[in-house]
Amino acid sequence: MIVDVITGAVRYGACVVFAAEGETVSERSGVVNLGTEGSMLTGALAAFAVTVWTGSPVIGALAGLLGGALPALLHAFLVIDRNADQLATGLSVTFLGLGVTSALGTGFVDEKISGFDPIAIPLLSEIPFFGDVLFNYDILTYVALLLGPALWWFMKKTRWGLILRATGESGDVVYAYGHSPRKVRYMAVTAGGALAGLGGAQLVLASTLNWVENITVGRGFVAVALVIFASWLPIRAALGALLFGAAVSLQLQLQARGVNVSAFLLGMTPYVLTLVVLAIASRGQAQRMPAGLKAVFAPGGT
Amino acid sequence: MINRTTKLLLLMALGLMSAIALSACGDSDSASSASADSPTIGFLYVGPKNDYGYNQAAYEGSQAVQKAFPDSEILQAENVPETSEASRVMEKMIKDGATIIFPTSYGHLEPALEVAAKHPDVTFMHQGGQKTADNLGTYFGRIYEAQYLTGMAAGMMTKSNKLGYVVAVPIPQTLLNVNAFQLGAQSVNPKVKTTVVFTNNWCDPGKQAEAANSLIEGGADVLSQHQDCTKTIVETAERKGVMSVGYHEDAGSLAPNGWISGSVWNWGPLYTEIVQSIVDGKWKGSDFAGNYRVGFADSDAIELAPWGGEVPGDVKSKVEAKQKEMKAGDFYPFTGPIKDQSGKEQIADGETPSPTELETTDYLVEGVVGKIPSQ
Amino acid sequence: MKPADAATLPAPGKTPTRRFDPRDLLASAGWMKWAAPIATPFVIWLLLPVFAIDQQAVITRATPFILTALAVALPARAGLINVGGEGQLLIGAAAAGAFAKFAGDGIPLIAMVPLMMLAGAIGGLLWSGIAATLKNAFAVNETISTLLLNYVATLFLGYLIHGALKDKESFGFAIGEQIPESARLPQFGETTVHFGILIAIAVTAGVWLLIERSRWGFKAQVVGGNPEAARRGGIPVGKTVMVALLLGGGIAGLAGAIELCGIETRLQTGMATGFGYIGFLCSWMVAHRAAWIPAGATLLAAISVYGDNLQIDLGLPASTVYILMAAIVLVVLAYRGSSTGKAISR
Repeated sequence: MIVDVITGAVRYGACVVFAAEGETVSERSGVVNLGTEGSMLTGALAAFAVTVWTGSPVIGALAGLLGGALPALLHAFLVIDRNADQLATGLSVTFLGLGVTSALGTGFVDEKISGFDPIAIPLLSEIPFFGDVLFNYDILTYVALLLGPALWWFMKKTRWGLILRATGESGDVVYAYGHSPRKVRYMAVTAGGALAGLGGAQLVLASTLNWVENITVGRGFVAVALVIFASWLPIRAALGALLFGAAVSLQLQLQARGVNVSAFLLGMTPYVLTLVVLAIASRGQAQRMPAGLKAVFAPGGT
Repeated sequence: MINRTTKLLLLMALGLMSAIALSACGDSDSASSASADSPTIGFLYVGPKNDYGYNQAAYEGSQAVQKAFPDSEILQAENVPETSEASRVMEKMIKDGATIIFPTSYGHLEPALEVAAKHPDVTFMHQGGQKTADNLGTYFGRIYEAQYLTGMAAGMMTKSNKLGYVVAVPIPQTLLNVNAFQLGAQSVNPKVKTTVVFTNNWCDPGKQAEAANSLIEGGADVLSQHQDCTKTIVETAERKGVMSVGYHEDAGSLAPNGWISGSVWNWGPLYTEIVQSIVDGKWKGSDFAGNYRVGFADSDAIELAPWGGEVPGDVKSKVEAKQKEMKAGDFYPFTGPIKDQSGKEQIADGETPSPTELETTDYLVEGVVGKIPSQ
Repeated sequence: MKPADAATLPAPGKTPTRRFDPRDLLASAGWMKWAAPIATPFVIWLLLPVFAIDQQAVITRATPFILTALAVALPARAGLINVGGEGQLLIGAAAAGAFAKFAGDGIPLIAMVPLMMLAGAIGGLLWSGIAATLKNAFAVNETISTLLLNYVATLFLGYLIHGALKDKESFGFAIGEQIPESARLPQFGETTVHFGILIAIAVTAGVWLLIERSRWGFKAQVVGGNPEAARRGGIPVGKTVMVALLLGGGIAGLAGAIELCGIETRLQTGMATGFGYIGFLCSWMVAHRAAWIPAGATLLAAISVYGDNLQIDLGLPASTVYILMAAIVLVVLAYRGSSTGKAISR
């Protein structure tokens, strides 16, 4: 049961991990992207469509990256070059993504693909408990599991990670050291969108094997909330996404084992849990917020 | 500042609207060719019309109507929510000349009743409802009869004696299907249990996949479902190497190894018959002008999907024999005594409630594992 | 980065000097300032028949959009970002539905509709109160809390509709009870337009007065502009924030009650989907200026209703309307944003 809940959490949460890590990168550069939901949708449709055409989920996943990057690029252009409001632009970009994927996706609803199957890693997957929990997923889910630590390393240990974080704190300082904060933000937002797109790709290529309109049903918005929940730290963001997956998985696993629970009330747990953790941790969190974001979340600065 | 916004808003409004108007003009005039013999007919679906599910089945029915009435114009509206939005869509169809409207989702009933009251000369046929009006009839299939049969097949083929059922939301139609499935299964295998999982959504494939996974991990080796979009669960079962039973549409091609059969709709003949009765002016006073329910015994509206390649011959013959009994009107799945999960008798010994009585079902029968949300 | 909000506020007193722009000629005409926001919705509305868009449907659709937009604009004045209109609307509708079911008997006919509206407003207000409390007591950012509470509200409504508020006569289907005739909003003559639009206009006027003309509006503006300065000036920041968010939630809840009493007549899941988010876009599109919200809402409502034509005449999916809406809002945001200075582009 515990193993099943954990593996379920990973399977369900993997696409949210991608989106949350993407949003972390974007917000660390000082740009909030509520268009993450839209990027997930365009990424999912691009991945599905290309897999249908080419028969190769690998090419599909790459298309997912690209598909997710496009709306993010639009967001970047509007908020960086046109100085449009970040939250309203992001939400509009999500609406745009929803509309475009609904219109273009109708022809793909009845298509059949073969996506990524779980690959049990030899030997390691034989280990009791950990073998099932860690070493029996599809390729994109392995990537999702490694993404948090990888981003942590990138931000903490590399020169570019430092520049990214500095941009989010103060564009002026980065400028003074000879880098263009504009370029950094463009790259961060676009990369963040690409990751969200890969999350959408994971959803359709490894989990559902199908495309339907609005297939993400709000997972991208959850990812944005999780980033704040995680105090903009990549490993915590990944854990948050998995915790979200665990809440859904626990609910379904309990039902499948005949435990009497109200599916509606249990369905609320991921959101309520996030709010409770935010309430406990928020005081400390305000200090961790990249300074560049304060203008978005608290225009006057609280 | 204010001035800039003014101009902008006006410009946007004008520019955009003229663009959309130009694109719309060409099409909206085409409804005029309708006549009494070839009425304009509107179909409303709650989801996309190619969902391998409920909506696709209804859409295919509309295509059969088109074939039978080649000069008719068929107006299609997908993804129509079950709210007041639906009344607007129906009003728009009437404006475009529709004289017959098929609202095909259960939640379209209230809006349809409201629109029907305003347009007495338009005939409405609602799919699955239980309320009628002078110009609004309802029809539905006793699809649970087919579910009983697939339940029998599942009960004979399961090795773990655990069947899984992924249900969208608890309404009488879904509960009836779960109950019939379990009754069918235990009629051939007294040890069998059906576990239900509710997803609270008619089509969230991500959640469906996870619900299917949890059932499989809980030991189920046959999955059935009641969702609007059905592909994901069939495909998930196939990947995990367990068997599946379909719903709404034949999805056998998606699961060459694990597919058993499924309950499918064949609305074409019934839709055509209904439209014909309206064209002939015989609709009033006919069976259709009320709550009309059809099953194996009286129509071809419900069918069993073609058998999967792995289904053994004795399973097929046993199920088909029962189907013959139903077709002859000798067997009804809900024949008492039937007890609910708490052991309370819901249908007394020897009684067979009518389809409309059954459509108030709010319990799960003994042998079903799981709880109806909010109870 | 300069707060976009403060930058778009009309400068107090005189217009700043800048290069000659032909638009200034129009701007200098004082009457434009008054007439434009009032005339624009009418101009849009009168143009609708040209595009075969149902005029009556646009009015009833604009009604909730106006209110959910005001639910964003009012808190925005105090520097708050309320993304929770969606959930506040649903809880408002649920509260009104619960009132009709449990307390509706024996209420005099004339009081029924006002009490339904009040119940809706209180429902929305309490729901936004969760976010307001989380902000004041625990410093939880309201953007995130209101967004998350939307999901909770949707599930909670589902829970109620499958349980306490379920219609026992509905053959087991999960829908709320039909509200009594006395609780329905009256309609104008033979039309399908209900009185909700009057409420929406009245609330618009009220919000405009509150934020542009009242003492509280000024306080809120100071809090939104610079809370530190406000604190030093003796303005109770926490209380102002609380009130702004509560009022916003109340207005969205009122929208829910209006949808229930004017359109849906019974609670159901999926009602008013997206209305809160569209209101959010509407408010940002007009830079949170209450007077302009009816214009923005009418435009978005026209597009929303146009979805039917897109579907039935052109066979496009209904959600294609989101492309049109998003395109308009994005163009407005980009156009306006570019004029408020270069903040992060370098």
